[in-house]
Amino acid sequence: MSDDARTPPQPKRFRLTVDGLAVAAALVLALLVRLGVIHRVPW
Amino acid sequence: MAQGSLALPQVQTLRPGSQLLRLIPGVLLLAAIGWLGKFVEQSVAAYAKAHHLHLPNIEYVLWAIVFGMVVSNTIGIPAVFQPGVLTYEFWLKAGIVLLGARFLLGDVLKLGSISLALVVLELAVAFSFMTLLGRWFRLKPKLTSLLAVGSAVCGVSAIIATKGAIDADDEDSSYAIAAILALGAIALFTFPLIGHYLHLGDRAYGMWAGLAVDNTAEATAAGAMYSDAAGKIAVLAKTTRNAMIGFVVLGYALYWAGKGQAQQVEGKASFLWQKFPKFVLGFLLISVLATAGVFNQQQIGSLANLSRWAFLLTFAGVGLRTNFRELKLQGLRPFAVGAIGEAVIAAVTLGMVLVASRVFHL
Repeated sequence: MSDDARTPPQPKRFRLTVDGLAVAAALVLALLVRLGVIHRVPW
Repeated sequence: MAQGSLALPQVQTLRPGSQLLRLIPGVLLLAAIGWLGKFVEQSVAAYAKAHHLHLPNIEYVLWAIVFGMVVSNTIGIPAVFQPGVLTYEFWLKAGIVLLGARFLLGDVLKLGSISLALVVLELAVAFSFMTLLGRWFRLKPKLTSLLAVGSAVCGVSAIIATKGAIDADDEDSSYAIAAILALGAIALFTFPLIGHYLHLGDRAYGMWAGLAVDNTAEATAAGAMYSDAAGKIAVLAKTTRNAMIGFVVLGYALYWAGKGQAQQVEGKASFLWQKFPKFVLGFLLISVLATAGVFNQQQIGSLANLSRWAFLLTFAGVGLRTNFRELKLQGLRPFAVGAIGEAVIAAVTLGMVLVASRVFHL
């Protein structure tokens, strides 16, 4: 029996990268701006 | 872009709750230093206006970086602030994605294509010259590879990605990272001075900063120090450079595997996808949405300002991360190779940008 046959398949763990988090955060902010929840951002 | 021992690792497991709470003090420190930089810029400008003085306009970018450096190199960063300070890379990437709203897709394609052509030329110059320098200075071949990748593509994150792919030593990658960070700090102060001395236009300067300054954070800061428009172009040029990271790392992985000194690469397409910086896709997506008219002018202004706030935290982080004592400990030879290589790459890219700006009317 091979090692592969004995080892049960491991569930893929969901991991977030810094890139993924940054893109998600930016898209959420863009959506909030588009919907008018964030009305005007001063600088 | 920075990762590794001095910043967030590439992949982080999301642990909500206490892990997020640990970030708060450092994020507040970034915000405080960034805001102080903005406050000082505005105060100096208001003082000059009230007293009819002609003081040089020092951008908040420089103030934030300098204040961060002062804190880092005097009192240091207390442990409670460190996890949050390392989030500067997150703010950088979120800021770049949001900046996509200020680019029409046509501009991205036009400037991106010019950047891409220049990046390919820059890569050829950087790799051949750095390899030659490494031999002259008798550096270890893998250390030379790491320095070449760091100076040609994308600074620290490229070094981290290549280190894993070519099985380089931790010590080599630490040397290369320290050299690239030190050179990035020098570039922050020298590039705007050279740009002003040569009377470079915003687009030409931004393109040069994006092509020649290594880390994304430093390239963004070096561009923004010159002008808002230059900062925008620097981000685009640097993002194009970042997009090449997978191909370069794959090339080195195949080279060292061919010599039997690194693991074979299985599945080149998945390797490329794994190394590809995903925030570039976010930047393009927001640019497509802005081009399609999803946002009105006021909303684009709001997204641009959100991007500026995110960069404000990034610039504070760049200053806080720069510790001269730590950089000094890493040795002189890798730094010397990096410095000579960077100077040559900066000169060559400047020449390329000047030619391109005439040909393409940048």
